[in-house]
Amino acid sequence: MNVLEVSDLKVRYSAKGPEILKGIDFEVKDDDFLAIIGPSGAGKSTLIRAVNRLVEPTGGRITLLGEDVRNLNPRQLRGLRRNVGMIFQEFNLINRMSVMDNVLSGRLGYTGNLRSLFRAFPQSDVNQALYYLDRVGLSDHINKRADELSGGQRQRVGIARALMQRPKLLLLDEPTSALDPKISREVMHLIRDIALELKVPALCNIHDVQLAKEFCNRIIGMQDGIKKFDGATETLRDADLEEIYAMEVL
Amino acid sequence: MASLDVNPAAISLQADLRRRRFTKMGLIWLAVLLFIGWCVSGTIIADTDWSRIGGRSGVLASIGRYLTLDIGLFPELIIPTLETFMMACVGTVLGCFFSLPVAWLGAANVTPSKTILYPIGRFLMVLSRSVHEIVWALIFVSAVGLGALPGILAIAMRSVGFISKITAEAIENIDAKPVEAIRAVGGNQFQVMYYGILPQIYPVVLATVIFEWDINIRRSAVMGLVGAGGLGLLFFRQMNSFNYGGVSMVILAILLLIVLGEVISHYLRKAVI
Repeated sequence: MNVLEVSDLKVRYSAKGPEILKGIDFEVKDDDFLAIIGPSGAGKSTLIRAVNRLVEPTGGRITLLGEDVRNLNPRQLRGLRRNVGMIFQEFNLINRMSVMDNVLSGRLGYTGNLRSLFRAFPQSDVNQALYYLDRVGLSDHINKRADELSGGQRQRVGIARALMQRPKLLLLDEPTSALDPKISREVMHLIRDIALELKVPALCNIHDVQLAKEFCNRIIGMQDGIKKFDGATETLRDADLEEIYAMEVL
Repeated sequence: MASLDVNPAAISLQADLRRRRFTKMGLIWLAVLLFIGWCVSGTIIADTDWSRIGGRSGVLASIGRYLTLDIGLFPELIIPTLETFMMACVGTVLGCFFSLPVAWLGAANVTPSKTILYPIGRFLMVLSRSVHEIVWALIFVSAVGLGALPGILAIAMRSVGFISKITAEAIENIDAKPVEAIRAVGGNQFQVMYYGILPQIYPVVLATVIFEWDINIRRSAVMGLVGAGGLGLLFFRQMNSFNYGGVSMVILAILLLIVLGEVISHYLRKAVI
């Protein structure tokens, strides 16, 4: 079954600006861990943000969890976003808040304004946060401020926050680019293991082809807003890579 | 020293540039001096009644009258000093309250309408600061009568400009990434502001509010001159009854209050940053 179907997706940031995505088609199945690879500027980040409309698409159709994303009103859109966990390249944590509050902020979509105001999250949310913090190995850092942690630890906070949403899809925007190679591998391991464990499909931007081959079952190759490759990881040949990265000046 | 092989054209160009800069600086200083001379002749020379000042001893004697203290005034000082302090505190809090919506309207990245509400927000910031606190006090005295209330309102109105401007600028300079994260989890507009924006701006805002409170103690001390409560009223009465020792007492009280505010705000600011 397809969790996400995208057809002829087009994005431009301003009416006269260049077209960043020039008609992309793909789908994510419920057991996919799908990598999007491609040179910088290919439109990977834009693509992933268009899925939950952090970036407004200008053309095409997105069907996410059976809903036509482009036709949702703001309230419906927020309702849909609650189901999509997102993990970011720069972690996107609230630096001045504690690790716990950052993780709990993953529940904001389910939390009323009054509770939000006092950060009075239900006990069940707190319990869940403690569970996921333990799962990502941060039990000893729960009450530290987010900006006191190392890069790898911060990304673990980001992962726990996404899991708090009990997501039905994970969107990963270069989750390892800001981390060193060893930590990158650990973080990818963690994300993939959790995704398998919770049976959540994932769509993952990644520019490290090695990591993509190692952790993902399918790969989409993008170049300049166009899909150049789409297939199982085993079918990706060096010639495909050369074509995807042809315009990259080394 | 061995002669260095330098292009003579480059040497003369440098000499030329230096000469020109010298001339330019000279002209600028001359213009500044002329301007100040013009101001002095227009105000001090033409506008002072020299015959009434009298001799040097007369001037010194007039100033000397203030060098006494009317200690007997002390009991009457306590309540107005306290009132001055309270007016500054309440006025600052109220000013913060008014500043929130103004900053929201006047920050380009969060304003609900860039074409209509943003200019209104910016205008309110300028309006608040371009009207002097004494003028605000006069307006509110005529609106709500004598007492501390018009003083508090005047201080609040005067505080809005600075607090909301700094707040709006802090909002414009935030890191967009946490905001994106809160939107991505399905957060609404309020949650985006409260979790994505507020934690980033609150140290700046708090430091600004403390600074403004410090200034508001000074403002509060003169409010009474126009009947808006506090020490100023007492000052005015002492002046009118030619009780120069009393005037000095009030000034001393104001001074002590301001030093107190200075000390408190120093420690508060340290605690915030």
